[in-house]
Amino acid sequence: MDTDLVVQAQRGDKAAYALLATGIAGRFLAVARRILRDLDLAEDATQQALLAIWQDLPQLRDPVRFEAWSYRLLVRACYAEGRKERRWAPNLRLLPVDEPNSGDDLSSVVDRDELERGFRQLSIDHRAVVVLHHYLDLPLDRAADILGIPVGTAHSRLHHAMRGLRAALEADARPPVREVAQ
Amino acid sequence: MSADRDVTRIVRSWLRTDEHESADRVLDHVLAQVETTPQRRSLWPARRIAEMNAFARLTIAAAAVVVVAVVGINLLPAQGGIGGGPAVSPSPSPSPSPPPSPSPPPSPSPSPSPSPSATPLAFPAAGDLAIGRHSFTMEGVPFTLALTTPGWRSEGSFGVDRGHQASPDAAGFIFWTTAPVGAYSDPCAQTEAPPVAPTLAERGRLAELATAITKIPGTRLVSEPTDVTIGGRPAKHVTIAIPDVIPCSPSSFYLWYTDVPCGSDGGCGRYATEVNSTINVWIIDVDGAIVWIDGETYEESSPETSREVDQIVNSIQFE
Repeated sequence: MDTDLVVQAQRGDKAAYALLATGIAGRFLAVARRILRDLDLAEDATQQALLAIWQDLPQLRDPVRFEAWSYRLLVRACYAEGRKERRWAPNLRLLPVDEPNSGDDLSSVVDRDELERGFRQLSIDHRAVVVLHHYLDLPLDRAADILGIPVGTAHSRLHHAMRGLRAALEADARPPVREVAQ
Repeated sequence: MSADRDVTRIVRSWLRTDEHESADRVLDHVLAQVETTPQRRSLWPARRIAEMNAFARLTIAAAAVVVVAVVGINLLPAQGGIGGGPAVSPSPSPSPSPPPSPSPPPSPSPSPSPSPSATPLAFPAAGDLAIGRHSFTMEGVPFTLALTTPGWRSEGSFGVDRGHQASPDAAGFIFWTTAPVGAYSDPCAQTEAPPVAPTLAERGRLAELATAITKIPGTRLVSEPTDVTIGGRPAKHVTIAIPDVIPCSPSSFYLWYTDVPCGSDGGCGRYATEVNSTINVWIIDVDGAIVWIDGETYEESSPETSREVDQIVNSIQFE
């Protein structure tokens, strides 16, 4: 992260912020999409987070901490969008599979469906820990810092989430029942 | 364990699929909104932990140890310092620079135990502040003040502000839960002048504190220190401005400092929020305790806002 760019943006430099936002938007959308499991909601969350970052940048005390701070705003935006998700849960669509299966780890489409189902059953709190740790490869202490929770809580949430996902995978022996998708 | 590793591998692989999102549309929306969306003014630049050299840290640590060991635990009320740090008030030594001691080592939290009569820290919780009276405690002194207009927000531990940048109602306050004891002799080099009131007993020296403010190089004196009465207590009021041109960035331009650790180490130093800002300082003597309040307005702040800052301080009632 270019700290000078952060400092310039803190001082109201819109061009600097544009560069900053361009550099993080793609990753933000990817994270939000994985937490929310819905592209529209993820786009809204990303948009809200990027705007909040612009508005609150002057209040960031230490520019070096921009990355963690900005992810915290993104996760907050995901919480907000997640509330909408609950309201419209019956209309959620499954993420399209638009990349060939690498074959080694995901043995079948059933695995994906079961994971999708299991993941959707997790709270946003639990999803966020899974995505920060297993998608962004952040150590749990950093994930905890971003989420504003104790490290022990992050461990606990991750354990709970992974247990749920394992249970979902193990359930693939049963006849799959897809979520309502419209 | 092996099964756990398999699940982890599967989940990680699953999360890494579907990576064809394009953020272009989102980015276009955001950048369009940024054009018309003002940033929220920072309260943080009005305060931060000043960098202090090792000598100063040792001095503070040594002085703090003396407070506990010699003066005892009932000297000071327990309260949070600016930024939530421990509130050890001033060195008991009459010397402004007690010699550093290699032993004992610096203590990051040299806070004495609270006395039975200690007044707990009070500051409005972070968030919007309703119209009406709000409670504060500074230097162990409880008081209330009245807000008569909406839009004020509490930072949660030391700051209250209102308005976005470039808005006419923009203003901010810093309520020093532990009063500053001196000013900077070189704001950009962050060189401290010797403390004006290094001991508790000397904190009654309102005039010297106010005068120290007028001598900060690079600032513009708007109004000389004057005697005023706030909440029925004697006080000094002085106003300075941060000029349009200063030798360093506002966030590197230091004004005054406390002598107590706040945060991990060092004292609290207040630096300028921005150029062309006007800073009013009220230093109030409440039975020997110093209550120090900064109220600032900005280039775009309206005269009404400046008057309101003054009115808010004048609404203070000590309990």
